[in-house]
Amino acid sequence: MQTEVVKSRVKKIMNSNEMVGYVFAFPFIFGFICFSLIPILTSLRYAFTDFSLGSKTMEFVGGANFKQLLTDEVFLKSLRITLKYVFISVPLKLVFALLVAYLLTRKTRLQVLYRSLYYVPSLVGGSIAVALVWKQLFARKGLLNSIMGEMGLDPINWFGDQKLALYPLVLMSVWQFGSSMIIFAAGLKEISPTYYEAARIDGANMVQSFVNITLPCLSPIILYNLVMQTIQAFMAFTQAFVITAGGPDNGTMMYALYVYNQAFKYNHMGYACAMSWFMLIVMCLITLVIFKTSKSWVFTESGD
Amino acid sequence: MVKKLLASFLTASLLLGVCGCGAASAEDSGNTSQGGTDSVQTTVSNADPSEPVTLRMAWWGSQTRHDITVAAIELYEQQNPNVTIEYEFYDFESYFTKLKTLVASDQVWDIFQLGGNFPEYIDKIYYMNEFIDNGTIDVSDIPEAYLKITQDTEGNQIGLSNGLNTYGIAYDVDMFKEAGVPLPTDNWTWDDYKDAALKISKATGHFGSSGLASSEFIAGCSTYIGQQGNVGQYSFFNLDLTGMGFSDAQMLTPYIQMRADLINAGASPDAGAEMEITNIENDFLVTGEAAMTWVAVNQFPTIYDICAGEGRTLALATIPRVKADGPAGSVIQSSQMLCVSQDSQYKAEAAKFIAWFQTSVECNQILKGERGIPVADSVRAALESNLTEGQQIMYDYVTLVGTFATPDKVNVLSPNGQDEVVDNYRNYIQQVVSGEITAAEAAEKTYEDAEALFK
Repeated sequence: MQTEVVKSRVKKIMNSNEMVGYVFAFPFIFGFICFSLIPILTSLRYAFTDFSLGSKTMEFVGGANFKQLLTDEVFLKSLRITLKYVFISVPLKLVFALLVAYLLTRKTRLQVLYRSLYYVPSLVGGSIAVALVWKQLFARKGLLNSIMGEMGLDPINWFGDQKLALYPLVLMSVWQFGSSMIIFAAGLKEISPTYYEAARIDGANMVQSFVNITLPCLSPIILYNLVMQTIQAFMAFTQAFVITAGGPDNGTMMYALYVYNQAFKYNHMGYACAMSWFMLIVMCLITLVIFKTSKSWVFTESGD
Repeated sequence: MVKKLLASFLTASLLLGVCGCGAASAEDSGNTSQGGTDSVQTTVSNADPSEPVTLRMAWWGSQTRHDITVAAIELYEQQNPNVTIEYEFYDFESYFTKLKTLVASDQVWDIFQLGGNFPEYIDKIYYMNEFIDNGTIDVSDIPEAYLKITQDTEGNQIGLSNGLNTYGIAYDVDMFKEAGVPLPTDNWTWDDYKDAALKISKATGHFGSSGLASSEFIAGCSTYIGQQGNVGQYSFFNLDLTGMGFSDAQMLTPYIQMRADLINAGASPDAGAEMEITNIENDFLVTGEAAMTWVAVNQFPTIYDICAGEGRTLALATIPRVKADGPAGSVIQSSQMLCVSQDSQYKAEAAKFIAWFQTSVECNQILKGERGIPVADSVRAALESNLTEGQQIMYDYVTLVGTFATPDKVNVLSPNGQDEVVDNYRNYIQQVVSGEITAAEAAEKTYEDAEALFK
């Protein structure tokens, strides 16, 4: 009797709608807890210690790590560089993605092919291989300088000059506009063609209909892309690590790269954790600012 | 802890000076008496010889080293069918990044390679004395003096040395001649060096002197301190690695100024060009774009062969001195060593492999002294009879450096955290190049950073 009851109960649970959801979500939940949540919480603890990978002991040092941040020249420089990188690369990338997506809404037979082609850089963009190619392109005797030499221009020493070195990295990030482009393209499709028709009848030209119809209707998607890309840009690591190793004179010392150096190269894991948490706060603030200001420029059809 | 370890490395260099390298036979008499060769001794191996054993091993180095080490491992597996060796290889920086994560998770490779920065990993090293004493491994072929270079003062065998090594400057003979610059002498000075670099770069349009940044700090900057005053008066870090070995930061200034001047004149690679050098095999000297570069001399035969293949001749010069009749500042040291890990399940098997790696003639015919001049007598003798030109130059050079007056004690170890000091030091030089700070300020900052390691 008892077993019957248990069996039917189990059956009931297993067949319930929620259960299916949990089963399917399990791999994610498991991964999130083990590989994200627990490490994140441990890192908060480490941020207040002098923990280092090499040694087995750690001492509680209070806020010393955070205090040290304020006097660390390299840290302050990396913060500046990263902000500069974000403020240049994100807008450029979004403009470019939107432009390409807009051009690709025109109905041609090759539309799908074009879209896939433009998406390819995003698929391979984060990889070491592409970063190495980039390094060669901009090297002293790389492709770019050879072309400039052919045209009779002086070669540019991209990675030898602190003021220039960041731009190849920005360009690489802009080149990976694919994922934002796909999202923009989907958004553009959702805009009802009747709006454009009405505008055309009223005599609006391409630019006017873009500014007055496309942009407002797309603004929620722009917001989404802006937030996602900003967060992604703050975490930029591969390019700086592979192409410049942070040089020259820390001119491309991205925040994430400096965290990595402190954690794994200089053996200050506790300090690196403190830096990560500081970064989280900065990113939260910037995202908050974006959301706060969004009320004034994001247009929702259902709203006011 | 560090103090203890150190003293032995100090005495080691002393002994090395006495031994020289070519004079291997002189060592034999003193050595045979203390070896663990007694054939009576039963092997106390904790593993059944037929039991399958898997060892993990890792090292850093260039492509040449990877190829020959893998070949040597395959030979060992062939001779010991029960042993499987899973190997990993990295460049220098990635190797230590990986090692640090393995230390944290208590999974350090059974057999791993360490250099002068070993104090940081001392907790993970299993001393090899036990295996030498109980006859698991036979190291009687390695002279006492060369065993000592990888021991601490208490006689703990930290590892077995991969070879003897010292720093030098490899140069392209024809480029010197083309520019009409006299070839380096055994006691040339930094002024000669700077002159040569400037003249060559003016005459040929190539770099006068290039260099892997990781070698420059030790071979150049830190040697520069040891060359001042009397022999042994100053050193960059002090002898027991507890502080600085000199007190006036301005002693660094002329050197930093010279480095900045060379970069500004286009005679040395700037930061961007330096980034293009990833290992010794694509150094600008090897690609024909520079006349000189820093090398740890075990790297020399490899690049000599590459350049010889292109019809170019390389030679080795000593590290320039502050004064022609002043201290040379160079020392002969262990290039790296192989250690047994505390985390290993098969410590005895790991030790056996290491002993084979260092003392087997057959194995070293494959390795060809790429990690430095072998420490085992029979191996050195076997290789010496059959040297390539590049190796001959390396042997002669090490013998030459062995004749220089060296202090009673030297410190070849790196304190924990040196990487950060070196990275900052390189940035300061770039700031001097761009005129942001003066060489004197750069010297001051470098000194402060280095001093802060001991606080």
